Amino acid sequence: MVDITSDRIETGDRSVARAKALARYRIPDSIFEVLTRSAAIVVLVILGGVILSLIRGALPVFETFGFDFLGTSSWNPAKERFGALAPIYGTVISSLIALVIAMPLGIGIAIFLTELCPMPLRRPIGIAIELLAGIPSIIYGIWGLFFFAPFLQANVQPLLIETFGELPLIGALFAGPPYGVGLLTAALVLSIMILPFITSISRDVFETVPPMLKESAYGLGCTTWEVVRHVVLPYTRVGVIGGIMLALGRALGETMAVTFVIGNVHKVAGSLLAPATTISATIANEFAEASGDLYVGALIALGLILFFITFLVLAGARLLLLRLEKRAGA
Amino acid sequence: MPATERREKVSVRDLRFFYGDNLALKNISLPLYEKHITAFIGPSGCGKSTLLRVLNRMYDLYPRQRAEGEVLLDGENILTPGQDLNLLRAKIGMVFQKPTPFPMSIYDNIAFGIRLYEDIPKSEMDGRVEEALRGAALWNEVKDKLGASGLSLSGGQQQRLCIARSVAIRPEVILFDEPCSALDPISTAKIEELMDELKEEYTIAIVTHSMQQAARVSEYTAFMYLGELIEFGETSKIFTTPADQRTQDYITGRFG
Repeated sequence: MVDITSDRIETGDRSVARAKALARYRIPDSIFEVLTRSAAIVVLVILGGVILSLIRGALPVFETFGFDFLGTSSWNPAKERFGALAPIYGTVISSLIALVIAMPLGIGIAIFLTELCPMPLRRPIGIAIELLAGIPSIIYGIWGLFFFAPFLQANVQPLLIETFGELPLIGALFAGPPYGVGLLTAALVLSIMILPFITSISRDVFETVPPMLKESAYGLGCTTWEVVRHVVLPYTRVGVIGGIMLALGRALGETMAVTFVIGNVHKVAGSLLAPATTISATIANEFAEASGDLYVGALIALGLILFFITFLVLAGARLLLLRLEKRAGA
Repeated sequence: MPATERREKVSVRDLRFFYGDNLALKNISLPLYEKHITAFIGPSGCGKSTLLRVLNRMYDLYPRQRAEGEVLLDGENILTPGQDLNLLRAKIGMVFQKPTPFPMSIYDNIAFGIRLYEDIPKSEMDGRVEEALRGAALWNEVKDKLGASGLSLSGGQQQRLCIARSVAIRPEVILFDEPCSALDPISTAKIEELMDELKEEYTIAIVTHSMQQAARVSEYTAFMYLGELIEFGETSKIFTTPADQRTQDYITGRFG
């Protein structure tokens, strides 16, 4: 016979003990909740504070120049005339070229590493890619200035000028003398710098594709390319686009390496070989010598614009993902 | 019941399979009869799924896996290095343990496979997609939302979508690798019913953990244990008068 009554009493004891334990946790629980909530709120406060101080610092510039500040490229601290067009142009174009180069390369490497590479080679190549991400940007800067730019000047740029310089339409992009430093050089260095981001994020998300899903595509008779194109990439597009946007964000804001190799000239030149400047390079170069509210204000306004561009990129990425998702009908 | 006239669609002869140095299948020989269902039963790790993956050479995707012996499809050895795997897999379709719809619309899930092999106009494609979905008893449930994602369907519907996808490219053999292990009883019943219809046209092999399922759907059953084929024969015979003691123990639930 089972003693039912004693069983019941035991259960009663246990629930009393449990209730006591719960009561003991009530205060720590609420403290924990308050802590985590304030941590999340602090982020918002900091973000708001940064935006507000940028806007306040930039206000004199927009009061003086209005929206002409965005549309003119003259940058003359002596006469206190400032226009942001050249840095904006340099920032956007150098990042876009870097992205155009690094995106297919990075995704290609990731596809190779996950789908095609023989096992013994996977780890070494993967580690090499990650090391590339670990190199401090100042090293890319001196390498770019002392080795890469002279190399381009001596070997690559003359060839580009000769080959494309005379062509209609795109000829203007490759006109002028080979300076070595310039927009294209900066874009190339940037593309090397963002390559590991795109590669390692793409590789990580490619590895999340269930083997069974890939097998079912192979099971229909798909080739590796068809599996990648129709199953792996669509399945992972959110992650891949996220990686690309992270890389673009890094390229837009990259300062040190770009400052070394872009030439730092406030001019919107048609040629990719010409020296140019970016927002972050301008700020880094000129902050120390900036005097007067207007000059400092112009630099802060540049910072605000960079902030805004980055925000636009992120928002654009979100929109793109939303539309992709709608099209997939999920 | 087994027909008197039966043809060996697939003949496995002296098949040995290795994961690295590990021998996973030991000299397996058995037939798959055309337009019949053959069930593979046995405890986990006995090699039944491995055997299935040899039949469409899925193991080729992975290094250090290899097969020795012969697997004849209509008399032709598919284990030869010169075998075109893409064409082989068009002839031998596979349905997996879990539903694996592709990340695209219901329509494209079906059309995708057809497009790999045939370049047909949209109107004909519509017909083929409908035919495949009807064949998998899914048409009535999805005909109004062909543009929706395959992932929006329920598990049982997704699995029937996968069956439709296999059927759409008109294979000769369909391999089912525990197709109902992730499904509820009602969906399972639908899939079993479907298999019964499919065997009119296709040669079917199914790996299953459920002996009731093997008994319900198959005409032939192979019992495997530790990489060996213990017994192969007509399902009714295997389940009523097994020749081997181990088969007897397994089907009566004494181990496994």
